[in-house]
Amino acid sequence: MTLLVTIRVALKALGRNKLRTALTMLGMIIGVAAVITMVALGRGAQQEIETQIQSAGTNLIRVRAGNFRRGGVSMGVGGAPTLTVEDVEAIRREVPGARYLAAGVSTRDQVIAANRNWNTQIEGTDVELPLIRIWDVETGVFFNPSHVRSAAKVAVLGSVVRDNLFGEGADPVGERIRIRNQSFQVLGVMAPKGTGGFGQDQDDTIFVPYTTVQKKLRGRDGTNISGITISADSPDNVNPVADEITAVLRAQHGIPPGEPDDFMVRTQTDITTMRSQMTQTMTGLLAGIAGVSLIVGGIGIMNIMLVSVTERTREIGLRMALGAKGRHVLWQFLVEAIVLSLVGGVVGIGLGFGVSESLTRVLLWPTAFPADAVALAVGFAAAVGIFFGFYPARQAARLDPIDSLRFE
Amino acid sequence: MPVIAVRDLAKTYSTGAVEVRAVRGVNLDIEAGEFVAVVGPSGSGKSTFMHILGCLDRPTRGSYELEGRDVSRLTRDQLADIRNTKIGFVFQGFNLLARTSALENVELPLLYRGPSVRGAERRRRALAMLDAVGLADRVDHMPNQLSGGQQQRVAIARALVNDPAILLADEPTGNLDSTTSREVLDLFRQLNA
Ligand SMILES: Nc1ncnc2c1ncn2[C@@H]1O[C@H](COP(=O)(O)OP(=O)(O)OP(=O)(O)O)[C@@H](O)[C@H]1O
Ligand SMILES: [Mg+2]
Repeated sequence: MTLLVTIRVALKALGRNKLRTALTMLGMIIGVAAVITMVALGRGAQQEIETQIQSAGTNLIRVRAGNFRRGGVSMGVGGAPTLTVEDVEAIRREVPGARYLAAGVSTRDQVIAANRNWNTQIEGTDVELPLIRIWDVETGVFFNPSHVRSAAKVAVLGSVVRDNLFGEGADPVGERIRIRNQSFQVLGVMAPKGTGGFGQDQDDTIFVPYTTVQKKLRGRDGTNISGITISADSPDNVNPVADEITAVLRAQHGIPPGEPDDFMVRTQTDITTMRSQMTQTMTGLLAGIAGVSLIVGGIGIMNIMLVSVTERTREIGLRMALGAKGRHVLWQFLVEAIVLSLVGGVVGIGLGFGVSESLTRVLLWPTAFPADAVALAVGFAAAVGIFFGFYPARQAARLDPIDSLRFE
Repeated sequence: MPVIAVRDLAKTYSTGAVEVRAVRGVNLDIEAGEFVAVVGPSGSGKSTFMHILGCLDRPTRGSYELEGRDVSRLTRDQLADIRNTKIGFVFQGFNLLARTSALENVELPLLYRGPSVRGAERRRRALAMLDAVGLADRVDHMPNQLSGGQQQRVAIARALVNDPAILLADEPTGNLDSTTSREVLDLFRQLNA
């Protein structure tokens, strides 16, 4: 009996009970579709991160005060007041590869405009920030060095803040907002930037001179800052510049060799890698959960095949009486199981593709069709068919012809 | 040398407390070309005996030599080959495959032949066999669309399709009218000649 004939016999047997065949396949279809969708979503997220990094500027270096890797007391990033404006000046002086620098002090507060208010991130920064983040002002202007020197009460709004305080698309330049009972003048609005490297909304923020945060909002006159944002002069130079910055800051802070840093230097690449790893773990987890449904689908196939073998005992007995050998019967049932799982797998791929497409179209979630996951799903489906089909098929092949013929 | 040589053949079914001695010590030689009838009342063990001769069942005692070979020493696969090519068996209860056309039922033994028979050839031989039993116009009918006698004739066609050396028929005319019975027996005699 050739394989072709075996496949035809299997297809005919499956065709005799279409509803059952369809329901058995459904388990496989859902399993494969779930895996494909999850992986497609994960890959889409991955690709989006890569795009975001390009938009954030690949030359970005961030320095944060404090270092959570320091032994003993847990400081938390930004928890220790170890960075000062002098550090910024030292880097500017001694690291020529650091093209743009901006000191940063952030806080969160309620912002009030006329009759509306909004709780948002207040980012104290310096004039070079738009150059570092490659981020344009849409209307109005960014603050200038004299604003920074005088700790002027001026603010540049992120587009989300503008939308919530003044209404969507409004032009608030020249208007006044209140933060901690102090009146600030709106200088401009940033162009919308979208979601940032860690999923935060970058447009939900207000930029003010860092000196203003230090002197007017924190209520304590100090030179401490919580971070420095730096742009290296070329992508290739990011790591050397980061190293030089580390050396300069250690010298500034008088840290003896062997002692840990009291600050953290992170490049955009570090952040990207971390974020990518997070997404990968997430994708793996989701695909794993989806994979469980594949196994459940396989058990469904085994269940139906066992029922089928019992139901068709007489048929098996007859085929054996007419000359079918154990392996003929084994193959007949195995091929049935494989057809169930493979056809289920292929339909599942179609469904998974459809679902990811709709997620992209309707919910605007980014997805990327994972060709390797498709190959994997097909292979896995076939493996499930063989694995879960083998036991019932072997049961069938071991039957005795006369006993099976008499079976009721 | 006889084709079939049976010595002291017995088959005892033990179902719980009761022992049914269906076949008790049969001695029989059948030569090639012989036409033999096994007769006996209902429940006397005719079918049981035929199943053993057809290599479908094993005796509980005694020996059975087919063409000089001790059947009890053959493997499952060897027995399957014998059932496929050497012996044609017409079951008392027909045993047609349900929801499968008469043609495909007759083709079944050809599917399991050693060197595989091509689809067109299978069809040709099955059609010829159905024609020989007078069912040329019923080839696409399912078993439940055939009368008892027609089903029996499909079963006969199936038993003959592999051109077996031995034809075992368990009450092959049990469901046929006297005319058709005579035709079937004539067919057997013809094949025997
Ligand atoms: N599997 C079995 N288990 C127990 N007893 C059985 C089994 N098969 C047959 N028998 C018994 O063996 C005896 C012989 O049965 P068998 O079918 O061989 O009779 P038969 O001569 O073919 O009868 P009929 O002419 O009615 O077909 C019967 O009494 C029957 O009850
Ligand atoms: Mg009988």
